[in-house]
Amino acid sequence: MTITLYDFELSGNCYKLRLLMSILKLRYDIVPVDFFPGRQHKADWFLKLNPFGQLPVLRDGDLTLSDSGAILAYLAKQYDETGLWFPDDPAITAQVLRWHAVGDDITSTASAARLALGFDYDFNIEKAQKSAHRIFRIMDEHLWFGEREGRDWLCSPAHPTTADIACFPYVMLSEEGGISRQDYPALRRWTDRVRRIPGFVVMSGIFPAGRALEQA
Amino acid sequence: MTFTLSDPTWYPIASSEDLPFRHVYQGQLLGRELAVWRADDGNVNVWENRCLHRGVRLSIGINEGAELKCQYHGWRYANRSAGCTYIPAHPADAPARRIQNRTYPVREAYGLIWSAANDEQPFRPFPGAEDKDWLPLRPMPVNAEPEDVLAALARLDQYADILPGLSIRSGNVIWFVQPVDAGRAVIRGLLADQPAEPLAELRRYNELLTGLRDRLERAATRKPAPAPLQPIFEKVSADLATMPEIAIPRGNTMTVVVKRKWQSADGVIGFELAARQGHLPTFQPGAHIDVHLPNGMTRQYSITNGPGDLMSYVIGVKAESAGKGGSKVLVETVREGDLLAISEPRNNFPLRRDATRTVLIAGGIGITPLLSMARFLDKSSLPYELHYFVRSGEQAAFRDQLEALHGKVIIHQGLPRDEIAATIATSLGEWSMAQHVYVCGPSAMLESVRATAAAQGWPDEAIHFEYFKNDKVIDNSSSFEIELARSAMTLHVPAGKTILEIMREAGLTVPSSCEQGACGTCLTTVIEGEIDHQDVYLNNSEKASNACMMTCVSRAKSARLVLDI
Ligand code: FES
Repeated sequence: MTITLYDFELSGNCYKLRLLMSILKLRYDIVPVDFFPGRQHKADWFLKLNPFGQLPVLRDGDLTLSDSGAILAYLAKQYDETGLWFPDDPAITAQVLRWHAVGDDITSTASAARLALGFDYDFNIEKAQKSAHRIFRIMDEHLWFGEREGRDWLCSPAHPTTADIACFPYVMLSEEGGISRQDYPALRRWTDRVRRIPGFVVMSGIFPAGRALEQA
Repeated sequence: MTFTLSDPTWYPIASSEDLPFRHVYQGQLLGRELAVWRADDGNVNVWENRCLHRGVRLSIGINEGAELKCQYHGWRYANRSAGCTYIPAHPADAPARRIQNRTYPVREAYGLIWSAANDEQPFRPFPGAEDKDWLPLRPMPVNAEPEDVLAALARLDQYADILPGLSIRSGNVIWFVQPVDAGRAVIRGLLADQPAEPLAELRRYNELLTGLRDRLERAATRKPAPAPLQPIFEKVSADLATMPEIAIPRGNTMTVVVKRKWQSADGVIGFELAARQGHLPTFQPGAHIDVHLPNGMTRQYSITNGPGDLMSYVIGVKAESAGKGGSKVLVETVREGDLLAISEPRNNFPLRRDATRTVLIAGGIGITPLLSMARFLDKSSLPYELHYFVRSGEQAAFRDQLEALHGKVIIHQGLPRDEIAATIATSLGEWSMAQHVYVCGPSAMLESVRATAAAQGWPDEAIHFEYFKNDKVIDNSSSFEIELARSAMTLHVPAGKTILEIMREAGLTVPSSCEQGACGTCLTTVIEGEIDHQDVYLNNSEKASNACMMTCVSRAKSARLVLDI
């Protein structure tokens, strides 16, 4: 079976899938979709794939899937033999889905501000930035207390889950939307941890972190 | 009170726990953005949050443990000194050694990191600081004027004492207001003594501060926002950033203490030279210092340190050479605790950091510059191989340091001459793009590497040497004229005198160091005339270019030389 990703290089939502597939060492083909300036995601051929007119779309054999959060869950359940990325435990599943939703909220705020500033989209920039700051404050507090409780990631397991991937890209790209992360030191430390996950890949605007200090 | 950029008060700018290893914290004080990071040796750096190159924020840089690397352009700045150690676009990869980022004073105490806009005031503990074990609360950034934040904190407890430096004591908590900017602040609390249930306490205070923040921010929207403070970012001057490649004038000397002197191996004495106060200047891998010896002589020794390692320089001195020259004084009479004058580090042996494969070949005491290079490559996870040849009966110097490396380090002991040549040939292999070899050792070994490498297709630019001395006999029997183009002077150089000596007699100050054509300090551009090179510093293609020479040993084959001096 071959996996095909309908991808726009500069989309954080597409990057989420590239990131998880790289971590899971999956091979896949890419069909580039010119989201900007071509607006191909509103073209007829694309709307047949995804009537919602949104990237990314993933095809796996006969299956056609859309929505980055849904696809993250699918990829993890289908291909992650360790079961760590989308754990089976009902309470943890609920946590993961909770943060997938936060990931979407970050998209509609931080990413909207980025689209308005960098891609000429007609969004209310100030409102988007304010709402993003509100989410980042909550995340920073959650992560700060997590560190005190010995939790490094968004959900309770001692390892990252798809929740961390769903929230990561648009936090990292927030400066492109004029949203500074200076007030969120715990959030900044978490982005370092995500960038050190084995298999991490970069995209434009998201760099790797330095090597962690090896404990002797 | 209005805030000024020059307010010398020490304020807390971060919690200690905000600075895990290999992270860069983004802070701000009085309008100035700060990049704050902890090096692997525990030292905390507070720097202006701008890479000097293009003004990119250093808080998105990579903390490599001993150096901070700018994510975008690769400039690197050393722990403690903030001195730049690498500029990728520079012709020799080599920074002018005085380029450094702006630093701010720093102190780590009571679970907080403290800094100030300048050095005008010494750090003083807040009243009652010393006798308690402090627990930092979760900091709370607030978009409101710092005085308003202070006033609101004071209203929380009518018995609170207002302390200097925007702080308040209220029961067993001390509140500090960090003035981030004219309209922004961070509340940092310290709780005296560890509570029985720390987490519950931390949550309780966090809730209290969240409520306070929301009230303050609502009030702030009802009044005009103050204008942000406007710090000025100083740019690197063009002449520093484009300093000539090799001919760096001699810097001033500085005094160091011989902190340790020990036998590193059979025939090699190690010296650890420490600054009398603080740290020493930034250096590059492969750099050396001139050591001014008690008998008036100057000798060059390579620094063996790893990147960012600035508390002392470690050099190795060959005991065998103690029979003659300057090293004798070092080995025989200089003791621990003695003072020595040394030059600023200089680098005639720059290491390229863009190689796909780096081969380091050392013979005997030649290990010293290569050890520093290997440590750098090791820290940066760049591929390298270090071959260290020692004679039979001799041991390898700096063995512990070599064993701490993760790369490929091979010590070849007591190989017969022909086997050395064969080993060099196999370790070099055929040349391919972006491979570089660095050699330091006795001249016979250098010549052997040079010949072997050339035979295996290595171009001159890929072979890098460091000579400690020029073994050739200098022929100074010629006599000729020199015309100094920039100084508009014509001088006669008679047999028996060097160009350098004649220029000095004419009153020019010209840099030199080894004065035997080995170090490259006196490198000069030649505009016209045919050069009689006698140095070992330039490689064959540089010599053939007839465009530069060493004024300490080189002479003219033509009747006249025109120099760019
Ligand atoms: S002074 Fe060293 S080469 Fe001339």
